[in-house]
Amino acid sequence: MGPQHPSTHGVLRLMVKLDGETVTWCEPDVGYLHRCFEKLCESKTYPMVIPFTDRTDYISAMINEQCYVEAVEKLFQGAITVPERAQYIRVLMAEVNRIASHFLALGSNAMDLGAVTPFLYCWRDREKVYSIFERITGGRLLYNYLRIGGVRNDLPEGILGTPEDGEEKADKTFWGFINYLDNYVIPQWDGLVTGNRIFQWRTMNVGCLSAADAIAYSTSGPVLRGSGVKWDLRKNLPYSIYDRFEFDIPVGKENGDCFDRWLVRVEEMRQSSRIVKQAMKWLAETPGETLGKVPRILKPPKGEVYHRIESPRGEIACYVASDGSPNPYKVKWRSPCFTHLQLMPKVGPGHKIADIVAILGSIDIVLGEVDR
Amino acid sequence: MDFLKEKYPEAQIGTLVNGDTEILVDKKDYESAVRACYEAGYTFCSVLSALDWKDRLTVVASLSRINPAEVGARNIHVKVDLPRTGAHVASIAKLYPGANFHERETYDMYGIRFDGHPNHRRILLPDNWQGGHPLLKDFVDKRPKRPRLVRHRFEE
Repeated sequence: MGPQHPSTHGVLRLMVKLDGETVTWCEPDVGYLHRCFEKLCESKTYPMVIPFTDRTDYISAMINEQCYVEAVEKLFQGAITVPERAQYIRVLMAEVNRIASHFLALGSNAMDLGAVTPFLYCWRDREKVYSIFERITGGRLLYNYLRIGGVRNDLPEGILGTPEDGEEKADKTFWGFINYLDNYVIPQWDGLVTGNRIFQWRTMNVGCLSAADAIAYSTSGPVLRGSGVKWDLRKNLPYSIYDRFEFDIPVGKENGDCFDRWLVRVEEMRQSSRIVKQAMKWLAETPGETLGKVPRILKPPKGEVYHRIESPRGEIACYVASDGSPNPYKVKWRSPCFTHLQLMPKVGPGHKIADIVAILGSIDIVLGEVDR
Repeated sequence: MDFLKEKYPEAQIGTLVNGDTEILVDKKDYESAVRACYEAGYTFCSVLSALDWKDRLTVVASLSRINPAEVGARNIHVKVDLPRTGAHVASIAKLYPGANFHERETYDMYGIRFDGHPNHRRILLPDNWQGGHPLLKDFVDKRPKRPRLVRHRFEE
C-alpha cells in the first residue's frame, strides 16, 4: 500500500503480504517525510527551534511547542519562572488543540471506513478553532506562540466570552466554542458514528491489543488507554499546572480493539472541555504577566533533560542536551506515532485488508511526527 | 535505583535536571543492566537514542514504569559510551519490542550497530543511501548541490 494512498494518513508505505484477502505479514516503511528536524535544531538557537517543533505534529502544534519549551525551561533549573497566567493560557490552548486534533482523528478514522460526512464535519469544526487561534496567535495551523518563559502575547479582549455564548459565537469566543462542542458536536459524533451499526461491525474485535502487549510495544495515549491501562501523563507525571485541574481518564477494556480507542477519544474530548472551562474561569478573573524575565541570549547551563507530555496521540518526549552554548547540542524528539507504527507487524496479520485501514486509523498517525 | 547501585558499584550514577536517574555502564554490562531494570518493573522503553560528543558516542536507553496508581515516577536512563568508529552494542529489541524502531533510527542516524536486532536496516533514510550517518557531528553532506536561481536584475 504505497506512499500515495488515500487511507494511509500521509506518505506512509505499508508492505503487506496477502493470502487471498487476509494479511499474513505487514510492515511499515517510513521516511518519506523526513525533514532533518534533529539535525536542524543543532544549528539554530533555542528560541529558533520553536517553529520547527510546530511542524513535527502539525495537527496539534501547541502541544509540541509546550513539550520543547518546558524541557528548555527545566534546563535552566529555576532561573526562568513562567508566570501563572502564561501557564493557564498554555493549558487552555493545549486542551483546545487536543479537542481539535481529536476531531481530525475521529473524522479521518470514519472516512477510512467509508463514512465521508463525519470527515467534512471535522473540518467545519476545526475551522472554528482556527478562527479563534488566528485572533490570538496570528496562525491558523502552526502558531509559534509559546516562548521560553511564557507565551508571546496575552489573550485579546473578549476572546474568552461569557458562558451564555451560543453557537453563532463558536468561531469568535472560547465559551461559544465550548458550548457548541458540548451541546452539538459531541452528541453529533455519538449519534452519527458511535452508535452506527456498520461502524461497530467494522471496528469491534478488530485490532485487539492486550494491555501487556501495549506496554511492551511502548504505546501510550489513547492506544494504551484503549487497552485498559489507566496511564495518562497529565495525571501520573503532572507537568505544567495539570495537577490543579479536575478531570477523569477514560479507559477501554482489557483487550482493546479499534472501537475502544474511538470511545476513548470521544470521552477525552469531554474531559478536555471540563479542563478548558476551569482554565477559562481562572483566566477571566486574574490578570497578570504572560512572559517571565528571560535573558536576551538564552544559554542554559550544561545538562540534559528528558521531558514527557501527553499529546492527543500519545507520549511526546523531548531529550534536550545542552553544553552551555546558545545552540542546543542535541534535541531528540520522541514521537508517539513512530513508536505506534511498530504495532502494525504485531496487530496487522490475521486481519483482512480493509481491517488494516481501520487499525491504522485507530492508531491515528501523523506522518510529520513519524518522520520528523 | 538502589538495585542498580548494588549491582554495578563502579558505574557512575547521576541525576538529570528533572529528577530522572542516569547510569553510565560499561558496554559489557549494558544488557544485564537493562535486564535488571526490566525485572525491577521498568517495562516501558520510552526512547532509545544516542548522543555524539566529539570524542565518543553515547547510547541512551530511557526506561520507565507504567503503574496507573503511581504519580511522579521517574525514569532510568541507561547510558553506554562507545567509540566513534565501529560502535556496536547489544540490542534490547527482544526484551522491549517497543525499542525496535528506535534502534533502527539510531543506526540510521549515528551508525551504531545493534547486535541481535531482528531487522537491522535504515528506517528514515532510504535503504540504499550512501551518504553516511547524518546526525554525527562531523557529517558532511556530499550530495551534489542544485544550481540556485539567480535573481534577474532589470535594466534601469
